[in-house]
This record gives sequence, structure tokens and C-alpha cells, in this order.
Amino acid sequence: MSLYQLNRAVYDWIRAGEVNSDAEGDGRAGFDVSRYDLTDDERKAFDGKDVAAFYQMGLHEVLINRFARAAGYARDDYRKILEPFGKPEERRGRWQK
Amino acid sequence: MAEVVLAYCSSHAPMMSSAREAAPKEQRDNFLGALEAIKQQAQELDVQACVFLSNEHFTNFFLENFPQICVGVGERNWGPTEEWLPIDKVWIPGHEGLANHIMRHTLDNGFDPAFSHQLELDHGIMTVYYELDEDMKLPLVPIVMNCAVPPLMPVWRWYEFGKQLGAAIRSFDGLERVAVVGCGGLSHWIGNPRVGDINEEFDRWFCERLERGEIDQVLDMPDSEIELAGNGNHEMRTWVAVAGVMGGAPADVLAYEPIAPWITGMAVAQWDTGRGTGRRAGNTAGAAPKSPVAAGD
Repeated sequence: MSLYQLNRAVYDWIRAGEVNSDAEGDGRAGFDVSRYDLTDDERKAFDGKDVAAFYQMGLHEVLINRFARAAGYARDDYRKILEPFGKPEERRGRWQK
Repeated sequence: MAEVVLAYCSSHAPMMSSAREAAPKEQRDNFLGALEAIKQQAQELDVQACVFLSNEHFTNFFLENFPQICVGVGERNWGPTEEWLPIDKVWIPGHEGLANHIMRHTLDNGFDPAFSHQLELDHGIMTVYYELDEDMKLPLVPIVMNCAVPPLMPVWRWYEFGKQLGAAIRSFDGLERVAVVGCGGLSHWIGNPRVGDINEEFDRWFCERLERGEIDQVLDMPDSEIELAGNGNHEMRTWVAVAGVMGGAPADVLAYEPIAPWITGMAVAQWDTGRGTGRRAGNTAGAAPKSPVAAGD
């Protein structure tokens, strides 16, 4: 229902697999996504590990990166998945000659 | 009173640990050689504690409550959290006295940092800390910074925070020799269609500003301009903060390598603390004798 819920679900899933001070990092297998208030499309993207859908929905890019890594995407593969959504950059920085 | 005997910044791409050999040997040797030279200096200087500044990557905080600055004041912190990062997961000693003094001083001088009695440390700090002390016993005060989740603290305020951080360390009477380390940047993109790109032109320009003592030229940079060198480039704030600790003095760029397999412009810069550190002080052990900044021009 809100992007916050999707961000939260992905964040919790990532953290469930990490080796934190109070967890051994095996919590992704039984992760229960039903406790988050997700739309059907968000739930579908989560279940399908759909990085392209996450990007289009506006998931935070730091979470997309961490999710892709944790879900087993090679970096080059996830770039290829996202490349179609890139836009040419026309702005210029002060460092550009 | 404590003295800042070592001050440097380093990029912190996790692949410097997890895919070390993926980088071309010359690039890898230049970058890691600079960190090795600094490690030797730290041992020679008998550094007693270190203060590390790095980005918060959604490791401790989330959207419910996201501080711009958080000082780790606990007796210990845990890291690294990433299950795939090949660094032992351990408790790292903190330094409560120095950390609480930093809190008090910055609260008294215009800043309102959050504090945490136990932080989880990710690659942002752990990769660079490990290169400094592979035993992970050197007491560490972590300062996590918001370099990722808008609204972000403007760059110039990080410079001002750095000035107060330096004043805090130098007014602490519980230690004599402290290192200050900024971790992050330079150009890189994550989680978007440009992941893997490196903006070498920005990186070299930024490093030149450091070498010329012209940090003032970046202090008014808006987020929209910073992002032209990648969403990960917001981590340049860690470098600006350490420049503030050193009062805007020129730095020596010991290494710059645009390392494609690590998807990041990887740099190491060091300030002369008056203790023989940095190239300006004549210390070239393990580091390039000349500035590498203009190598690609």
C-alpha cells in the first residue's frame, strides 16, 4: 500500500540473512512476507526477486543493490536488467571541462 | 591532550575484500599499497585509538528513524554484518571515553548527533579498518553518517562537523595518539542502471581539490550535482569531514585507481599531521612518490 512497506519488507529480508550480533544469518529461508501490507504487484515482485520491478516501483537504490547481491545476482547481470530504464544525462558538473 | 597523529580517507568498495583478485594487479597494488603504507605508519606512531566515519547503508537505521550523524559510544561494536564479506565477524572494542567526549563537545558546539551503545558495522568501516588492523583490536569509535537517504546534511555542514570533531579529539585528555579515517566514495553508482560506471573526471578533479587545499570549492555542491558522479558519491562527505578535522589543509593523494571490477573510483588520501605522515612530509614508503591525480589527463 505504501512504498515504505515494500522498503521495509526488503530491508528485513536482507537483514535476516546477515550475520548480526544477535543472529546467525539463516533467517531468509522462513521469511514471512505476508506480515507486510504489500500490493499484489509488490508481493509478486518480492516473490519473483524482480529487481526491474523494484526499480520501477521506486525501491531505495541502496536496498536494490543489497537485495541483488543477497539474492545472488551477479553485478553485470543486474546492470543488464536495469539498463533499459536508464536515461541520458544532460546536466554537467563544475568539474567538466 | 590527544593529538590527531594520522588522518586519511579511503574508498571502501566491499570488493576490495570480497573480490580482491578481480582488480588488475597494478591497480590493486597501488590502492592497497597506499593502505599498507598507512598501516605501517600507524604501527610506528603507536596509534592508541581510531575514529572512523562512514556511510550508513541501512545497517543500523531504517526509515522510521534515520539520523544524519550517529556516534558509537559503546564499549564494543559488531562487524562486519555482510555474510559474504570475508572478514571474521567479531566484537570490535570501542572507546567510550573518547566517544562520549566527542558527543559532549559536538552537542556543545552546534551539532546534535545521535548516539548508539552498540552499532553493527558493515563494509563501509570494516574493509578499511581491517586494512589498518587485521587483528581488529585497535579501539574504534565509529561515526555513521547519512550519505544515502534524502534529505541529506549539506556538504558544508560536514566540513563544519569535521572541525568540531577535530577540536573534540584534541581536547580529550584520556589518550595521546588518535587516527581519524574517512571511508567511502569516490564516484560509483549502485542499484540503478549505471551500476559499474566510474566518473574518472570527477574523481581526479576532487583529488586535485584535496591536494591544492581547495576543499572550499566543493562545500556548496548540491546533491543533484554530486549525483552526476553517482549516487554513491554522496560518500564524499566522509572526505570533507576529515578535511574539516585537518582545517582544510592540503592532502596527499597516495593512490587513485578507477577499478572497474570494484565499480568504484578507488582513492587514498592522507594529511600531514606533523608526525611524518604523507608525501609532503617525505614519507613515501609503499606509496607513489608523485601524485597520481593527473595520471589520466
